[in-house]
Amino acid sequence: MSATAPAPRAEISPALTDADFQRFREFFYRRTGIQFANSKRYFVDKRVEACIRESGEDSFAAWFASLRLGLRPDLIQQAINQLTVNETYFLREDYQFDSLLRSVLPRVLADRGRAGRGGPVRILSLPCSTGEEPYSIALRLIEEWPLIADVDVELHAADIDSAVLTQARTGVYGARSLQRVPESWLYRHFTEVGGGHRQLSAEIRSAVTFSRVNVCDTDDVRALDRFDVIFCRNMLIYFDELSSRRAAENLYGALRPGGYLFLGHSESMSRISPIFAPCRLPEGLVYQRPAQGATA
Amino acid sequence: MTATDHPARVLVVDDAATVRLYHSEVLTAAGFRVSQAANGLEAVECAMTDRFDLFIVDVNMPKMNGYACVERLRGAAVGSVAPILMVSTEDRSVDAARAYAAGANLYLVKPVDPGRLARLAILLTMATTTDRPGEATP
Amino acid sequence: MALVRRTTAAPAAPTSAPADPAALAEALHDPDPERRRAAAVDLHGFAAAVPALLARVAVEDDAAARDAVLTSLAGHDTPAVAEALCAHLGSEDAGLRTAVVETLAAMPCGAVPLLPGLVADPDPDVRILTAMILADLPAPDAELRLVELVSGDTHRNVVGAALAALLPMATAAHAALLRRTRDRFADDPFLRFTIDAALPALAAADEPCAADAAAAAGDAGPAGGSR
Repeated sequence: MSATAPAPRAEISPALTDADFQRFREFFYRRTGIQFANSKRYFVDKRVEACIRESGEDSFAAWFASLRLGLRPDLIQQAINQLTVNETYFLREDYQFDSLLRSVLPRVLADRGRAGRGGPVRILSLPCSTGEEPYSIALRLIEEWPLIADVDVELHAADIDSAVLTQARTGVYGARSLQRVPESWLYRHFTEVGGGHRQLSAEIRSAVTFSRVNVCDTDDVRALDRFDVIFCRNMLIYFDELSSRRAAENLYGALRPGGYLFLGHSESMSRISPIFAPCRLPEGLVYQRPAQGATA
Repeated sequence: MTATDHPARVLVVDDAATVRLYHSEVLTAAGFRVSQAANGLEAVECAMTDRFDLFIVDVNMPKMNGYACVERLRGAAVGSVAPILMVSTEDRSVDAARAYAAGANLYLVKPVDPGRLARLAILLTMATTTDRPGEATP
Repeated sequence: MALVRRTTAAPAAPTSAPADPAALAEALHDPDPERRRAAAVDLHGFAAAVPALLARVAVEDDAAARDAVLTSLAGHDTPAVAEALCAHLGSEDAGLRTAVVETLAAMPCGAVPLLPGLVADPDPDVRILTAMILADLPAPDAELRLVELVSGDTHRNVVGAALAALLPMATAAHAALLRRTRDRFADDPFLRFTIDAALPALAAADEPCAADAAAAAGDAGPAGGSR
């Protein structure tokens, strides 16, 4: 039942009508939970038009029909890609790292205290891509967590793509990726390596364990052992119903009971799975694996 | 009833966009400020982020159905005491009983007459919306 | 310096021994819901485990474990599995009903052959849930079945649910059907409002669709409902 992808076309029918915009907006909201206000009309129109051109379909109607029928999953991926911000850089969505330091880690430590549990606090970044996220966590912990001298923290990072893992282990970044990093941190933890690039210190690079993991593969994820906190930002939104459910199950299994999961800023478990409990923290919502099983 | 400076906020929860639109129109015309959620889990997340004076909750929704949603709205994680009106296509007494057990204030069977919905919404929020002169509604 | 460091201890969980489906099926009954959940996840892909998984659907009371059972079953996208799941659409448990709806909506191969029976089910609540499945089922048949329900069902809430599912995919070719529906339920404020709101938008979309064939052949016959 899958269609062959036509070649990209130069022209398409006139720009989105109001009706087209409404239909697409409702579809996108239903699928992802992301709502576009009317004020985003121009933004959405331009990107949808780009998607239609790329797809080779000759009109919004034809493109939208393919999208809805699920015959071309690549179209949905592309639409989500176009309509969400995907650039990776250091300290992206930093308020979540604030949440980690100010709200989540204290709770993790309190839970461990009550349970009489020792060992390192374990944090996972998946997908880690080229490493900005796990290294951002490392930098925030070193620079801003008062307890880092007293508490062992294990940082793990995983991605399905070996090429980005290699880049991550190398730890060389350009100005764009580093633009939010304070000067003093750049001075302390990076070395200039020419061409406007800097390399992260060997000490921090060696503090992160990188693995190749497919989050939909239960065995892959199980090999990692359990974490207190997982960052899984801006990935699940791309998955279809079954894949996202399976990924959610694997992430659930990878968390200690009571452990915390961060999704991307505009993502929600409401389109994925009810097995996690939303948790309101001062900095925003985070998800928790229930401490005990929840009744169906 | 006229819109006040601080209209009561209602969250309309239904997986059908058509129903959300319909309830939204009726309640906006009645002076409410309306937000929408497409399933019970999204509703819980909304309730954790913003304060609502009234919830209109459908029963059959994916990811989290209406009963589970109401239980969580009343539960410790959200702790809402705002009135909850459940709306459903099902018309069995066991369903109403389950709604009240979950913490709903009223259980209505679809289709709900628009005038009745508006009247009930106003009545349910009159007791709890504190709009005393000189005092801003939180 | 910093105490951010990698553990040198061996990874904890033993893996790699191939899972024994019989033992996993046993574990579906374990008193510990986490073991039941993990077993359900690990039984993904084992066709022989389908009967054991199906048997858990109605009785599993842990939310995460039940979700895992259904996700694993959805991987067997066949009419036989879909048919067994359909039996739960009439359940008294709203959570189970909607979990099955979601699962069936992700099983186009299994669900499509069952659709004629579902849209003709004597229980209007089942037909409403069928409309919910059709809203997300990635198959061309979905639109045809929704047109059947909108044009022929006699129960207003079934028509309402089918309309809700159809409108996001509707085009100008459906306008006549919508007008007939509004006339059929002239006393229903929700259906009137919904159709009146949708008609102007449809005038702008004029791609041919499956409904053209249905319209050309005359109105679809009654699709169920005994009221």
